[in-house]
Amino acid sequence: MNPVFYFVAVAAGLALVGLLFWALRGAGQRKNLDHNSGGLDNVPSPVDDMAQIRQSMDPADFEFAKNKCGRELPARLRRERRRVTLLYLAAIRKDFEHSLRVARIIAVLSPEVSSSQEYERIRLALIFRWRLQMIKIRLLLGLIPQPQLTALWQMAASMAMQMEETMAKLGERAALAAELALQSEKQ
Amino acid sequence: MSELPTLTLATWGLATALTLFLLLRIFLLRLYRTYPLFTLYLGTNLLQTIVGIYLYQSYGFRSVYGYRMAWTTQAFVVIARGLATAEICYRILGKFKGVWALAIRLLIACGGMVLISTLYFGIRSYKLAVITLDMSLEAFIATWIVGLLLFARYYEVAVEHETRMIGLGLGLFSCCRLLNDLLFERHVQAYLNSWNYVSSAAFIGILLLWTWALRRPVTCAAPEVQLNSAQVYQLLIPQVNRKLSALNQQLSQFWRAESSKP
Repeated sequence: MNPVFYFVAVAAGLALVGLLFWALRGAGQRKNLDHNSGGLDNVPSPVDDMAQIRQSMDPADFEFAKNKCGRELPARLRRERRRVTLLYLAAIRKDFEHSLRVARIIAVLSPEVSSSQEYERIRLALIFRWRLQMIKIRLLLGLIPQPQLTALWQMAASMAMQMEETMAKLGERAALAAELALQSEKQ
Repeated sequence: MSELPTLTLATWGLATALTLFLLLRIFLLRLYRTYPLFTLYLGTNLLQTIVGIYLYQSYGFRSVYGYRMAWTTQAFVVIARGLATAEICYRILGKFKGVWALAIRLLIACGGMVLISTLYFGIRSYKLAVITLDMSLEAFIATWIVGLLLFARYYEVAVEHETRMIGLGLGLFSCCRLLNDLLFERHVQAYLNSWNYVSSAAFIGILLLWTWALRRPVTCAAPEVQLNSAQVYQLLIPQVNRKLSALNQQLSQFWRAESSKP
């Protein structure tokens, strides 16, 4: 047997054992019921805190504090702002994860799924997580680019609204269909 | 039979007794209705032991005929295990038609690639070809089980305790046999006796796991799933993907803006 193949095969075998246990972790706690109700309702919304987040990120505030107070306050402000930005990123991530979860639920409950759409989502999720980690590291190194973050959040919120609208439309159509069916039964 | 070491005979005896006990339990608890192919696998295993005892008694442990026949029966056992694996896969994902259709295509492709590559790269001599074939089939089964459980994890599908344990047993046993066969292929002479013990010990361990998992009837069957119309997927998924893609785009712009800062 080719020695390279031998080592690759042994490593693959051990990796399969590891993956087997990892994939099974928490399998019993998952609830199929979530697919029908709870999962779609609990939309995390960073919208409510947006005004405060924006305020905390406003460069004018920072400049004001820098001019009016001593050196201590701006330093503390910087730390606070970094913390807020990280929280903000976490909220965006939560929104992303929620959208992913909604997509999974829709896919699981669909009689047909498109492999290209499913693959695309996995690819996007991997890229998103990687980039987010990189940005977090940069933030922790001392850079706080607020405008881009705000744009990011606004876009996420508008897409969420679009999706909610589509879901509402679907619900209306389903209700209409049910009503029509009921009427035809009565006739 | 006297040619066989006592330890080999003892492990065989223990494995046979445990298989019988498990089969008895399956019939008493009527679990064969829920897991017919898994029951068939255990039955095939028991039958193989009976044939093995007859062969070794008639032709001796070292005879070529006995060796060929023993490996021929092993093919049936591996096929039965493959069928039991397919049954477990269907029990976990089968009710979710769309995801199941996707999973089956992907798993067949992945399993096929693993099988062919193991056969292609693993074969050293025709004398050991049967071991290579066994290894490829074990790799195929292990890939299927692991792939399926990864699918279940990704789509957050709940898996019943019994099904989970049977799946774990099948996957672990295939992985053990794969690694055991690999070691055997590499160190044929030195590993000959240990190969048998490791294989038997793994099987005994898995039988104990299954006996524990199937200690009571399957009481809580998974609720029936009401699927949406295909239209819901077609309407919503592209939107979700667009949203995710736009979020990514923003992140990348953010990244570029970051990088271009002096």
